[in-house]
Amino acid sequence: MHPFTVLAVAALVVTSTTALAAWPVSLSVVLVCLGVAATRGRLAAVAAASTAILVPVWCSQLMIHALFDRAGTHVLLEAGWLRLTSEGLTVAAQLGLRLAVLVVVGATVAVAVDRHRLVAAIDLAPVPPQAGYLLAATLALVPRLQRRRRAIADAQALRLLDAAPEARRAGPLRRAWRAVRLQAVPLVLSSVQDAAERAPHLAARGFPSTADRRTRLRDVPDSRLQRLVRRAAAVGAVVVPALILIGGAG
Amino acid sequence: MSAGAERATAALLDARIDSFRFGGHAGETLRGIRLVVAPGTLTAIVGASGSGKTTLARVLAGMLPPPSPGGAPVAGADDDPDDDVLEAVLELCGRRVAFAPGHRVRIDPAGWAGRVGLLPQEARHFLSGARETVAEEIAFALENQGVPRPRMRERVRAVAVDLGLEGLLDRDVERLSGGQERLVALAALAVVDPAVLVLDEPLAGLDAEARGRVVAWAADRCARGRSVVHLTRREDEMTVRADDVRILAGGGLARSSPARAAEPCPPAAGGVVPSAATGASASHRPSTGGSARGLLALSGASLGYGDPGRARRVLRRPRRTGQPVLTGVDLTLHAGETVALLGPNGVGKTTLLKTAAGLLEPLAGTVRRTGRIGLLLQDSGDQLFERTVRREVGFGVDAPRAVSHVLDGLGLSDVAAEHPYELPGSVRRLVALATVLVKDPDVLLCDEPTVALDDAGLDLLRGVLAQRAGTGGAVLFSTHDEDFAAAAADRVIRLPGPGGRDPHDAAAA
Repeated sequence: MHPFTVLAVAALVVTSTTALAAWPVSLSVVLVCLGVAATRGRLAAVAAASTAILVPVWCSQLMIHALFDRAGTHVLLEAGWLRLTSEGLTVAAQLGLRLAVLVVVGATVAVAVDRHRLVAAIDLAPVPPQAGYLLAATLALVPRLQRRRRAIADAQALRLLDAAPEARRAGPLRRAWRAVRLQAVPLVLSSVQDAAERAPHLAARGFPSTADRRTRLRDVPDSRLQRLVRRAAAVGAVVVPALILIGGAG
Repeated sequence: MSAGAERATAALLDARIDSFRFGGHAGETLRGIRLVVAPGTLTAIVGASGSGKTTLARVLAGMLPPPSPGGAPVAGADDDPDDDVLEAVLELCGRRVAFAPGHRVRIDPAGWAGRVGLLPQEARHFLSGARETVAEEIAFALENQGVPRPRMRERVRAVAVDLGLEGLLDRDVERLSGGQERLVALAALAVVDPAVLVLDEPLAGLDAEARGRVVAWAADRCARGRSVVHLTRREDEMTVRADDVRILAGGGLARSSPARAAEPCPPAAGGVVPSAATGASASHRPSTGGSARGLLALSGASLGYGDPGRARRVLRRPRRTGQPVLTGVDLTLHAGETVALLGPNGVGKTTLLKTAAGLLEPLAGTVRRTGRIGLLLQDSGDQLFERTVRREVGFGVDAPRAVSHVLDGLGLSDVAAEHPYELPGSVRRLVALATVLVKDPDVLLCDEPTVALDDAGLDLLRGVLAQRAGTGGAVLFSTHDEDFAAAAADRVIRLPGPGGRDPHDAAAA
C-alpha cells in the first residue's frame, strides 16, 4: 500500500475515534492495531514503544484528573491532599484511552510503513525537495549515531580506558559521567564533521534538486483506487470529527 | 600556434592557480600551478602526505574556496579575512571562471560537477546517507536531475557492470565494507559522466581485482574522450598508464619523467601452503618466531557479526550471535613474528582482527590471548577523540615520557599541539597508531595500516612493525598492499573470496 494511503487512513481513524470518545471504539482500534502489528511480526516492538510512551502519559492523566479531584462526588479515597473520585478516574481513563489510540496507531504506522518508501513517496510528491532528505536523514540519524557510538566505544575499550589511572580513582558516578563524556564529545564532533564533509558533495550531486520534475529510482506503486481512498480519508479526517462534534452538541 | 597553446584551446580543464591560501593561515598551500587536461587523457599527480593534493582536488572541483550558493558563476564583491583566498583562472569546457582576492565567486555546484567531478579521499563522504540500496545511491544525482526511471536503471546498471558492482546493487549502503564504499562512490560519481573526473586516492583500500577494474574503467573513459586526473601518494597501476605524470611538492607542480612500470604486485615470496581448515593460504619467509611462544591463537574459530542492532562490544560482555563470515579459522601468532592478512574487500579481515582483539566473540571455537593486545582500527576517526595530538596519545597514560617517546618515534612531535581532525589523513593515521603503541602492546593488530600513508609513512610503519616483533611482540596486519606485505611480514595469510563478507561493519576490510 502507498505510504500516504496508510497515513491518511490512520489520520481518519485517530481523529474520528478521538471525536467519538467511546471506549469500546477506542479499545477496538487499539486491538486492531495490535493485530496488524502481530501479522507483521512486530507486536512486541509496537507494544514496547506504546508502553514506553503511554505509561508516563497515563500517570500524568491520573495525577491531573483523578488523584487530586475536588469536583467529583463519589469519593473512593481521601487522605490529606489526596482525593480520588470515580468521576476523576473516569475522565482520566477516557483521556488515557484516546491518547492510547493516537500512540498505538502511530506506532503501528511506524512499523507498517517502510521508511525508504515513505521518503521516496515524499520525494515524488509536490513538496520542497529538502523534505524527503530531511525525513530520511532524521530517520537514519538514530541508527547511524548508534553505529558511530559503538565504534567509539570499541576504540575506547581497546585503549583500556576503564583501567586508566583517573578512571580507577573515580567513584561510580564520576566513572559513569566520564564514560558518557568520553563518548558524547567524539560522537558530536564526528557527527558535525561528517555533516560538514558531506554537504559539498550533496550540492555537487544536485541536492536540493532544481529540476522541474524530480524522479526516484525506487518505484512506489500507487493506483487510482488508492488515490481515491486517500482523498476520502484526508477529507474524512476533518469532516467526520466535525460532524460527530456537531451531532454531539445538537 | 605552439603545441601547448593548441592543447590549451582544446582542453576540458585548464587551471592556472597562482596561489591558494587557507583563511587564517599565512602560508600558501598551492602556488604557481598550471594544469591542462586535454580530452581523453589520464593525468597523474603524485604527492606526499600534506603536499596539497586534496586541496588541489577541491579547487579543481569548485569546492575551495567554499562557494556561495547560486546560479551561474558570477563575481561579487565580498571580503573576509578568514576566508580562503584563491587567485586562479579555471577554464572548464570553454567556460572561464576567475578567482581573485576580495571576490567571492558564486558557483552552481551541480553544474560544475557536471564538468569536473570529484571523488574525495574519504569516499564515504560522497555518499548521501539518504538512500537504502547501492542502486539508489548511485542514482542519487540522476534523481536530482529528473532523469526518467528507465533511463536511470540503464545508466546505473551500465556503470555497475563497468565497476563490477552488479552483485551489490540491492545491498544496504550502510553494510558495505570500506573498499566497497569507495567503488560505490566512484560509480555514483561516474553515472553523471562528467568531462573530467578528479579522483583523490581512488585505489586506496581496494583489493587487487577491484584496483584492476578501476584502472581499466579509467582507461576506457579516456578512450571515449573523457579525462581523468588521478591524485595519489605513490606511483601505482594507474600512474603507469598516465599520459602526464606530475609531482606535487611544496605547493607547486613539477613534471615527472614517465612513471616506471609498476608491475602487478607479486605475491609475497615463499611457498603457498593451503590451510585445510580455512581454505586460506599462507606464504612463509624465514621467521624469527618459529619456536617462540604463542601470543595469540585462534582455534577452529567461526567469526562473524550478529544482527547489527544487537551486536555489542564484547570486551566485557561477549555475545555470540549471527552468521559466520569466516569458519574453521586456525591461526597462531608467535612472539617475534609479523603476519600479513590478505584477501578481497569484504572477506572478513576486519572481523578476524576485531575478534583477535576481543571486540567480538567467536561464534564457535576459541581465541587465546597472552599479553596486551593493541588494535589500530581501519578508520582513524573512530580512534581519535581528544583536542590535541599530545592529549590524544597521552589519554589514560601515566607516563608522559612514554608519550613523548612515541610521538618522537612517529615524527609527530611537531604536531603535538594540533587538533587531530585538522591533520592530513596520513598524519592522522600515525596519530591513531601512536595511541595504540603508547600502551606498549605485546600483540599489535593493524587493520589496513598502509591506507593513507605515503612512502615516508610506510617506512615509519615498517620500522614500527619490525621493532614490535624484534622486541618479543607479535604483529598481525591486514592489507591490500602486496609489496608492503612482502617487505614487512614473515608470513602471509590469504583469506579466500568471494564467499564471505563482513556484513556489519561499515568500515570493514
